[in-house]
Amino acid sequence: MTTDDERVAYLAGEDGSDLDDPSRADLDDLRDLLGDSSTWATPGPGLEDAVVAAIAAERAAAPASRRPAPAPTAGPPGATPIDLASRRRRIPHLARNLVTAAAAVAVLAVGGFVLATRNSDDGVTSLSLEATDLAPDADGRAELRRTDSGWRIEIDASGLPRRDGGEFYEAWLKSGDGPDAVLVPIGTFNEGGDVVLWAGVSPVDFPILTVTQESADGDQGSSGQVVLRATIDLEQ
Amino acid sequence: MVTADELIAFRDGEPDAVRAVYREFGGLVFAVSLRTLGSRDLAEEATQRTFVKAWKAAGGFDPVRELGPWLATIARRTAIDIYRRESRRPATRLDDVSPADPTVVEMPVGVERSYEVAAVRAAIDTLPPDEREVVRLQHLEELTHTEVAERLGVPVGTVKSRSHRAHRRLASMLGHLREDSG
Repeated sequence: MTTDDERVAYLAGEDGSDLDDPSRADLDDLRDLLGDSSTWATPGPGLEDAVVAAIAAERAAAPASRRPAPAPTAGPPGATPIDLASRRRRIPHLARNLVTAAAAVAVLAVGGFVLATRNSDDGVTSLSLEATDLAPDADGRAELRRTDSGWRIEIDASGLPRRDGGEFYEAWLKSGDGPDAVLVPIGTFNEGGDVVLWAGVSPVDFPILTVTQESADGDQGSSGQVVLRATIDLEQ
Repeated sequence: MVTADELIAFRDGEPDAVRAVYREFGGLVFAVSLRTLGSRDLAEEATQRTFVKAWKAAGGFDPVRELGPWLATIARRTAIDIYRRESRRPATRLDDVSPADPTVVEMPVGVERSYEVAAVRAAIDTLPPDEREVVRLQHLEELTHTEVAERLGVPVGTVKSRSHRAHRRLASMLGHLREDSG
């Protein structure tokens, strides 16, 4: 029968000849884990700032209902958002884009958009989609038509790289930019050409159309990474 | 120890609270990520994403639960997502691809023991620094008590007593691993 003292002694590196086989096997497993380099690994010194900046950016870009306090317009005090581009490709995809998204949201909040909305005689409303800093080369138009089934919204955008493999674009109607604004998802897609979306809420009540970059990560909310946006001004 | 107030502040995205949670659990999250992915770069990405996801989900976190295992679960899931993404990454020449590269391996080889790594990391993070360092030198660098004593500039007896105390704590905290595996 192996005692606790014998187990501790073996774990600490002493001879385990008195141990029974099951105990030795268990403790060898534990010793393997204690000797595993990942167990002791320490992340790089810049990661803490990157985490703080990423959350600050998400917080700034998140729907207002997710934010408990006014969104910051810059990074957290004492933390400079880390652009890890010099270190690798993928982290900037996250960190830099999130920081850029925060900046874009801050700009939106201050400047807003003035977009031409055209309401035609056949009941179709056309409008321009405005690119954000996340997709500066993007451009596009949207057409909205009311049907008995709901609002049919057709987007034709260019300059958006294809997203697939668990990554995609998602379109939203938003009730406004205020702290109580509500987002309603209206569809997901991979490329921006000839996309047909359906909305069960009226653009009269949800007059902001946005397109965001999303990932199939189990989070159903908006990433806040807006690439296209338009303000809908329907004639009543 | 992250306080209830800090947890609330973390949920609110307060930078100081984010730092407090990161400083307590960043190592654990990184260890799980590295164990699963085998790459420091990818593990850092996974760590960053894990904390963002945790912040997003913190509103639904039950403060009665332990934060470490919750974060470890998110980290493991996040690392698997990144692994799958990397699996879809186009490779160039097969000769240039490591045998452990995600493009040629169906599942991350380290994922099976990632929870055990999390438990061990959480346990060693509770040790006093002097005991933790002795354990690290013994197991990671495979030094004898005498070599550890020389490295740290302390008597061998001190190393032995620190080692014994530390391993007794670890055996106590990690006893459930033996039970789970048995």
